[in-house]
Amino acid sequence: MAARSSLMHEEKQLENVPAYEFINVNSNEFHIGTFRDLWLDVLNPKVYSYCNSAPEIEDVEFIEEMGIEPKTLEELKIICSVDSLRSGHEDADNVPSDPHLSTLKLRKRRQDYKETLTRDTVDRHEVYANEMEMISVGKKPDNPRDLIPEGEIILTFNIMYPILFQRFKYVRAYQTLHVLGSQRLSDLRDAICCVSDLQVFGEFSNTPDMVPQFISKDHYKSAFFFFNGTFFNDARFPECQDISMTTQEWARTRDFPDFKTAKMEDTSFYDLKMKVGFPYLYNHQGDCEHVVILTDVRLVHQDDCLDIKLYPLITHKHRVVTRKCSVCHLYISRWITTSDALAPTDPCLFCDQCFRMFHYDDKGNKLGDFLAYAYVDPGTFN
Amino acid sequence: MDNFRGPVKADCEELLARFQATESVRYEQFLEVWRDMNFSSIFYSKPEANERRMFARLIMSVASPYFFPPYTFQIRVAGLYLLYGLFNSQLITPKEKIRIALKDWEDAMQFQRDAVNAQHYDVLYIFRKLLSDKAFYFTAMPTPLCYGEKKEDRKKTEICEEFVDPSSRPQELITTDVLEEIGNIHEHYEGMKKSIFAEPDPNLNLIQQNLVPKLNGAILTYSSWQWNRTESEQQQDAGEGPSNQESSRRAQLIASIKSRSYGQVAEASKSRRHRQTQLVPADGADFSQKLPSKKKRSPSLKTRTQLRFNTQGNESEGLTRLWCLSAVKEEKAPEKRKKKFNWNPEKSSDPS
Ligand SMILES: [Zn+2]
Ligand SMILES: [Zn+2]
Repeated sequence: MAARSSLMHEEKQLENVPAYEFINVNSNEFHIGTFRDLWLDVLNPKVYSYCNSAPEIEDVEFIEEMGIEPKTLEELKIICSVDSLRSGHEDADNVPSDPHLSTLKLRKRRQDYKETLTRDTVDRHEVYANEMEMISVGKKPDNPRDLIPEGEIILTFNIMYPILFQRFKYVRAYQTLHVLGSQRLSDLRDAICCVSDLQVFGEFSNTPDMVPQFISKDHYKSAFFFFNGTFFNDARFPECQDISMTTQEWARTRDFPDFKTAKMEDTSFYDLKMKVGFPYLYNHQGDCEHVVILTDVRLVHQDDCLDIKLYPLITHKHRVVTRKCSVCHLYISRWITTSDALAPTDPCLFCDQCFRMFHYDDKGNKLGDFLAYAYVDPGTFN
Repeated sequence: MDNFRGPVKADCEELLARFQATESVRYEQFLEVWRDMNFSSIFYSKPEANERRMFARLIMSVASPYFFPPYTFQIRVAGLYLLYGLFNSQLITPKEKIRIALKDWEDAMQFQRDAVNAQHYDVLYIFRKLLSDKAFYFTAMPTPLCYGEKKEDRKKTEICEEFVDPSSRPQELITTDVLEEIGNIHEHYEGMKKSIFAEPDPNLNLIQQNLVPKLNGAILTYSSWQWNRTESEQQQDAGEGPSNQESSRRAQLIASIKSRSYGQVAEASKSRRHRQTQLVPADGADFSQKLPSKKKRSPSLKTRTQLRFNTQGNESEGLTRLWCLSAVKEEKAPEKRKKKFNWNPEKSSDPS
């Protein structure tokens, strides 16, 4: 009996070692918490510790384990010295003029090409992307209580933006977030920025000054993640509804296997079974659907941001060109009109000032027929 | 950045092939090749932080697989040295880490045990140094995975045959047990076939005769051919010595093997290299070379529309565009294309 249970235990362990389900596409399904335990089982804690062990201790250990003379270690240190990898006194900021390596040949050609371009080719978005990724690197918390425990897991999620506008079809827009294994699914939900959370519903052409201040996020609090056959609903607020019901009922009438439901605020990432690289779903605001991909899972490293309070940590955000007012081409649009005889297109975008100047007289009376809605630019999060 | 994958892989494999030619696992030998190729200069570039980071990430992901099976012990040693060299030569802080997946950890541990047994202290020292320098990320998968991401060119990820032990799959497949089993099934099969005919015609071949001995014979022939081949290769290598010329010849050989994905050299030719053998292009090769010239594609609908718009001289278009909610970007594409950087100049003759 004992033998059998240990065998079962071993099998359970094995199936939680991530492997490819499809080569270079996605992994098999594994339990995140067990995966972490498996790593911690095989690793010497000092290899994922935030502290560096003293070199003298390392030396003694090596000598003892290998059964070698201290003299041999000294020789090894000289032979394997990092300095001997470097080559002379060359300028590392420039590609050598006549390189042998294919990589350098390509880089040289690319660099020469870039110099022929007239405009400044430093892609600001790229520079920004690097800054964003690096800004919190190696950050230690002010309060030692907020230090992430050693051996914690970091999960990387890509949250794709839904195709709200045609232009998003050509760019794969996404946001990258790092979350900790011990965090709740609701923590991830709160960190996802999406314009549809900021929308204001209603037509306001008769009362442009009465646009309410509350936004969809305050109004429609229901949301779910769909991971691996389970709907994880947000049930933190009394207004929250199980919006996965519609899908579940539809599926039930069509002979699909039953889906499970759970609460996202009660579920940590350690409790989940997931596939790396596999598309999952986040749904909020009723019909705003985001593909969610777990791209990476790994142990925390001493160079990571170690302040627990900064997680979920945003490391990439797609930047969108803001859409300017179609009159002044200067300010970001705040209004969108339809059936508007005064506008050159339908629909048409206006900044607040141009919108009012165009559509109302001095006394604020509406001129002509049109419908007006509040517009939230996708570039708001830039 | 992915455009660098090909050249980076070629550079790494040249380094590995030259190290392989030394028939050594000593770090000094590796360092000699590394310095001779000035390999640390692979990171030299304009100090654009993001490019440098992306490149370091790329080269680590290209180099890591050589540290794992199915590569030979010597290549795996070289892979480890390569990772050590790259990790310490990169020009960014904090350094890009080497990713190691849970499923590959046992291989790394077995490698370490093998090195202990053979007393390769330099191998052990380098591995320990990387661990204590916190050079690794302990991950779920060897690379981050993003579903639907553009599939990498197959050629760029394929395994370098020169660095792998000769395959013994056929021998593994056909064991004595299996032969016995096949023999039994074959006998059974013969019996069943015979039972169909009341009076079997002696001229009718109901089954293949001597299936098992034939199968066994084929495996033996293959084994001895494989053995002869490695023998003669080693003799040749030993005769010429691991000179620079030799190693660059090897590198060329590797390159030529890769480039002739559609060519076919009679397999036995390698064991008789002293005789001139020539590449015999398979029938398909000719065809695939001609194909691009035949396939002259008519311009796309988009291009044709663009042409029509331009000839009609729609001047107001530029203005009205600004009102549009939809993208204007795609309309600009054709003029941009001309200026685009050509990543593969050798393929530029391709009309598409
Ligand atoms: Zn959304
Ligand atoms: Zn305006």
